[in-house]
Amino acid sequence: MSPRVRLVLFLLGAAGFLTTGVLAVLGAPPVGTDVHPYRDAAVAGALAHATANVVSTVNYDQRALDTLGEETILLASVTAAVALLRPADDERVDVPPPDVVRSRSPATRLAGWLLLPATLLVGLDVVLHGHLTPGGGFQGGVVLATAVHLLYLAGSFAALERLRPRRWAPVAEPVGALGFVGLGVAGSVAGVGFLGGVLPFGTLGDPLSSPTVILLNVAVGIGVGFGLVVLVAQFLRQEVLVR
Amino acid sequence: MTTLSPVGVVAGPIVVAALLLVCGRWLPRPVVDGVAILTTAAVGVSGAFLTPGAVTAGGWPAGVGIPLVVDGASRVLVTLVGTLATVALLFSWRYFSDVEAHFQGLVLLFVAGLGGFALSGDLFDMLVFFELMGACGFALAAYKIEEARSLQGGLTFGIVNSLGAYLTLCGIGLLYARTGTLGLAPLGAAHLPADTATVAAFVLVSTGWLVKAAVVPFHFWLADAHAVAPTPVCVLFSGVMAPLGVYGLARVHAVVFGALDVTVALTVLGLVTAVLGAVMCVLQRNVKRLLAYSTIAHIGTFVVAVAVSSPEASAGWLTDVVGHAGVKGALFLLVGVLLARHGSVDEIELGGSCRRSRGIAALMALGGLALAGLPPFGSALGKGLIEQAVPVPVAVVLTLVAVLTGAAVLRVALRLVGIGPLPADRADDVRTTGEGEERETRRLERLPVTMLAGPVLLLGGSLAVGLLTPGVLGAAGTALVDGAGYRDLVLGGVPPTTPPAEVAWSASGLVVGTAAAVVAVLLALGAVYAGRLPTVLRRRVPRQNRAVLGLERLHSGHVGDYVAWVFVGITALGALVLLG
Repeated sequence: MSPRVRLVLFLLGAAGFLTTGVLAVLGAPPVGTDVHPYRDAAVAGALAHATANVVSTVNYDQRALDTLGEETILLASVTAAVALLRPADDERVDVPPPDVVRSRSPATRLAGWLLLPATLLVGLDVVLHGHLTPGGGFQGGVVLATAVHLLYLAGSFAALERLRPRRWAPVAEPVGALGFVGLGVAGSVAGVGFLGGVLPFGTLGDPLSSPTVILLNVAVGIGVGFGLVVLVAQFLRQEVLVR
Repeated sequence: MTTLSPVGVVAGPIVVAALLLVCGRWLPRPVVDGVAILTTAAVGVSGAFLTPGAVTAGGWPAGVGIPLVVDGASRVLVTLVGTLATVALLFSWRYFSDVEAHFQGLVLLFVAGLGGFALSGDLFDMLVFFELMGACGFALAAYKIEEARSLQGGLTFGIVNSLGAYLTLCGIGLLYARTGTLGLAPLGAAHLPADTATVAAFVLVSTGWLVKAAVVPFHFWLADAHAVAPTPVCVLFSGVMAPLGVYGLARVHAVVFGALDVTVALTVLGLVTAVLGAVMCVLQRNVKRLLAYSTIAHIGTFVVAVAVSSPEASAGWLTDVVGHAGVKGALFLLVGVLLARHGSVDEIELGGSCRRSRGIAALMALGGLALAGLPPFGSALGKGLIEQAVPVPVAVVLTLVAVLTGAAVLRVALRLVGIGPLPADRADDVRTTGEGEERETRRLERLPVTMLAGPVLLLGGSLAVGLLTPGVLGAAGTALVDGAGYRDLVLGGVPPTTPPAEVAWSASGLVVGTAAAVVAVLLALGAVYAGRLPTVLRRRVPRQNRAVLGLERLHSGHVGDYVAWVFVGITALGALVLLG
């Protein structure tokens, strides 16, 4: 199909799609009314399980099955990336290039080393307090993975290779999914249903309240953190070493 | 046990996949393969033992929590998923030289996604499992990374399916804005009126499912993905992944959009899909693409049956799904065998290659006859039920479509044993050949028994469905169209009382099916000997006229084209529902 024909076809389709959107919006209920059945149900549920962050209770308690699915999508995607980025028969892997440390400005290196511990702390904080404040395993995991790659920024590719995340992180990553399902099965065994809360809910706002949400956040944090480390390490390696 | 089982279908494969991915590099390959096969087999067996009912995760009430719902339809689909995955893994026993368990892990996660989609009682959760299927599917399609087109096929699959998912998400957002719930049963209980906003939501939600089902014009990615995916993966793509898209359409329409009359719209889409799939199928010489288009043709038949939405039609298409999965799975595995032995999937190149091993060609011919509608295969039983439930002209078209897809496979089988002259390669041939396909194994002189067992088992399964006419398929059909029954099951815990639709052979079904098989054989012989026709006659049958060439060029492999067609499809579906 020539670009012009494709464009005309797309514009025709897009016009129909736009019409669909307009019809949908015209039929939608007005914005900003007091009636909201899901809010009522979800907030009541959050309070019943003493989880201060209602978004977290939706993600890790009321709709934890969705989050299990998403955690599994991540596992599948990371596995897919590792499988598809495996060196093909016609590719060869170079030895790591000499360190580029000296070409980096001292300021960049200093900032990298200073930020490394701080970022790790922030990541842990975001994971562990996801039940109280905005955050959780997904967000915290991303921060943690960023920390590891500050090493590349501050040091060198060789330093990152010495850490060998490409070797161990793919093995660590499925542990997150295992932990998630394990907690779910614990609920089934305890008779509160798959992914139900096994431990006592605690007091609303307490750092150790809603322990199931905390544990699921940790599981997701492990999965997301190591998953991203694998992804970035694979892509870096493909870029730097594979010819 | 009752509370565990539907959860186990999802959680079990995830746990085993995660364990294999952790320990895969230290475990001997037979252990990895064995554990994966046992897991998928367990999923298949569990399908038969799931108790109807809804299990909500975390014990939350429906509307807040997410239920996994076991009813007649989801039981059949779970069994099918497990069975096909088991055969696919058996076939690929020690298939890839990869030292780690990536392939087995991805197949297991794929099974979790397929099973979760069939069981989920929540619209958003369906989308999550849809995405899980996608994430695994793209990777499995692109698994043979040595070939550039393999990555291209996987990428096209990824882009078009993700686009479908986003549009479905838009539709889910619309429904949530109006009802404040995401559960299928609570959405149904909200009794949406048949207004234009509901039509818009239906069209958008359906887009993802229609892409997955490969309904025209959302279908382009499917043939590309099938052409590049490893053959055991094609078994899952064709046998159950695409039909699950039709299932999503039927389920969501019955439970949530019961007020909308979509008979005309779905009949039109289904017929166009069936006819285009059949025509494209006949035109192919790459056998994997040929089988992929044949799947599209049969998907069209399923969609026509969904349009009727009677228990009988529903039981018919679910029976056809099971019967078709066996036959099409067997055919793909036979292509895998041919690829392993001869290093090609091209009909012309493979010509005469089975003169000594007629068994493979015979099995392939049997598959072709079953696709055409030969009793007593399960596919013929289902097709007969569908044809009785639809208006006569529609039934005639569907019969012809089945005949064409069967004839195409028979033509390949005839050429395999060297019957008929092989057409010369034409320089102006725009069709995709099956040359240069990478072997998926090392060259095999003797076939391992696990490779031949697969096709025999699958054809046998399809035959068994036709001979036993299992009542569970009738119950499945009734359950799938009974929106009120589904709501009662999920919200009230009341199992449905409607009697199951009857799944049985009819005299007309037997006669039409047999006649269809005979016609398919004649057409195949005609196609093979077309080169020997007297010149006067041959001129009347132009080999490739302009319309056919245009059709072939539309399937360009350009992802931009495919995306444009998705939007055209949305417009067409919306217009058809509004006008119909």
